[in-house]
Amino acid sequence: MDRKRLAILGFLFVFLVVLVFIFFKTGVREKIKPSPLVPTPESMELPAKPGAKIEVVLFFLSEKDTYLHSEKREIDAGVSVVRQAKQAVEELLKGSQLGYISPFPPETKLRELHVTRGGVAYVDFSKDIVEEHLSGSSAEISTIYSVVNSLAYNFDSIKRVFILIEGREKETLGGHISLSKPFLPLYDLIAK
Amino acid sequence: MNKELLSQKKKSVLIGGIALFLLLSNFSLPQSQSFLNISVKDHPKLSRIIVESSFPLSFEIEKRPSDVRIIIRTDTSFLIQKEPFESSVIRSFGWRRGRDYYILTFNIIPGRFSYDYFTLDNPPQLIIDLSPLSEKKEELLPEPTIVPPLSRTERPSAPSREIKTVVIDPGHGGLWPGAMGKSGTLEKDITLAISLKLAAVIQRNLALRVVLTRDKDVDVSLENRAAIANNNKADIFISIHANSSYQKDARGPETYFLSLEATDEEARKLAYLENNPTQPEEGIAGGNQDEIQMILWDMAQTAYLKQSSELAESIQNELNLLLRTRNRGIRQAPFTVLAGVACAAVLVEVAFLSNPREERRLLNEDFQNDAAKAIYDGLVSYLERNS
Repeated sequence: MDRKRLAILGFLFVFLVVLVFIFFKTGVREKIKPSPLVPTPESMELPAKPGAKIEVVLFFLSEKDTYLHSEKREIDAGVSVVRQAKQAVEELLKGSQLGYISPFPPETKLRELHVTRGGVAYVDFSKDIVEEHLSGSSAEISTIYSVVNSLAYNFDSIKRVFILIEGREKETLGGHISLSKPFLPLYDLIAK
Repeated sequence: MNKELLSQKKKSVLIGGIALFLLLSNFSLPQSQSFLNISVKDHPKLSRIIVESSFPLSFEIEKRPSDVRIIIRTDTSFLIQKEPFESSVIRSFGWRRGRDYYILTFNIIPGRFSYDYFTLDNPPQLIIDLSPLSEKKEELLPEPTIVPPLSRTERPSAPSREIKTVVIDPGHGGLWPGAMGKSGTLEKDITLAISLKLAAVIQRNLALRVVLTRDKDVDVSLENRAAIANNNKADIFISIHANSSYQKDARGPETYFLSLEATDEEARKLAYLENNPTQPEEGIAGGNQDEIQMILWDMAQTAYLKQSSELAESIQNELNLLLRTRNRGIRQAPFTVLAGVACAAVLVEVAFLSNPREERRLLNEDFQNDAAKAIYDGLVSYLERNS
């Protein structure tokens, strides 16, 4: 009797093990495969030594003409393109070290930045970028393309830039330039 | 003994069954979890779209004349459940899936709406409210309804047509002041003053119909400004603005027309649709014809870029003579107000409010008259070249 019970329990156990095996090891498994062409920027591990630096080019306004002017800046090599891009935008918001003009309201903060596989960087600014903005067409254009050109110029995995405010899509910064689509860089605006 | 064995067997089947159930339910949950639940409800004065999801949504909203689209960027697939609805504003709902996105399309009745949206957590919800704009507001504007997009046959080449109607668009207005000068001058006031003077000088001297998108201090959305132009069969659209820059010294006039950059995605989409007219897109649910028309609406301005650049040049030349400043010149940018206009369309930045000297000039009525006259002269030279 006890032996039979044991035998049945043993059988049950084996049955379960077999079931588990069948469940996990057979059948058509849906594989989550990353797009083969474009690596996820978030997951793109960069061969960086701790403390390693990279150089990025940031674009500011100048008093002498209407073009954007480049300024080199060192940032931490970091572990991903997203981290680097975040630092680049943060440096941009800190302003120029060479006396160029920052086309951002000084209160502006970067809230979030992420990059899609399709190469669109979503850059989320605090509401100051709208509320404190000068709101003229020229001011809007320089604010937008300072960010867009700085990101697209330095990071190959960023092709377009979508500007968000407080995590949301906003129609314009000050009533002129549409923010409803991601921007391609406009290198014509950069001083030769 | 036999009985006991039997009951043991029953037990084992039961236990095995439970184990199997637990295993299956446990591991199939992630799939059944991903869903979107779409509902539409009419309230007095507004129609509300609620998109409830089982996961945090990252979305974009596109408002178009005939629909509202929600674009959800995601690599995972999910179930879309639609609750049956009857709405006086939302006609139908459709969706389709692309490689790494979903597009939800809500077709809406023609008319002017104000949009608002917000999100809620737990469960994640996206709520979009559409409220028809009140009758009173509509009376202020000529023909408030949005015209249907251009038909396919009308678009391809911008016809050289007789110029009959000029639409003048005073930038900003109402709650939207635009730029502000150091001594507090608001862009919306300057743009209205110059626009009214421009309208007057055109009406005095030319046999053209003049329509203003606003003639007092009221809000008009950027899309509706374009719609007013198209409804009135505008042949020329001139948006009047006053500039500001983070450069302290910035001065002088600028005239803009739409940059192609902003619309190249549509251009490619359109080219695709025109080359593959019978090939429906993957899993399309909304109807192909609508798709094509929406793109054409977005592209309205691209067929007129050549005329627009000529008009910009004519006006900029005259403004340069007037302001005698270094030429900031003709520029291109993705201006919302220009994108939907189906005729030659420019945006004129008369001078810089951020420059105290130019702010004083912009406030001066003689200067406003001179600026209006310069824009008028530019218009006349464009008309002479195109008649």
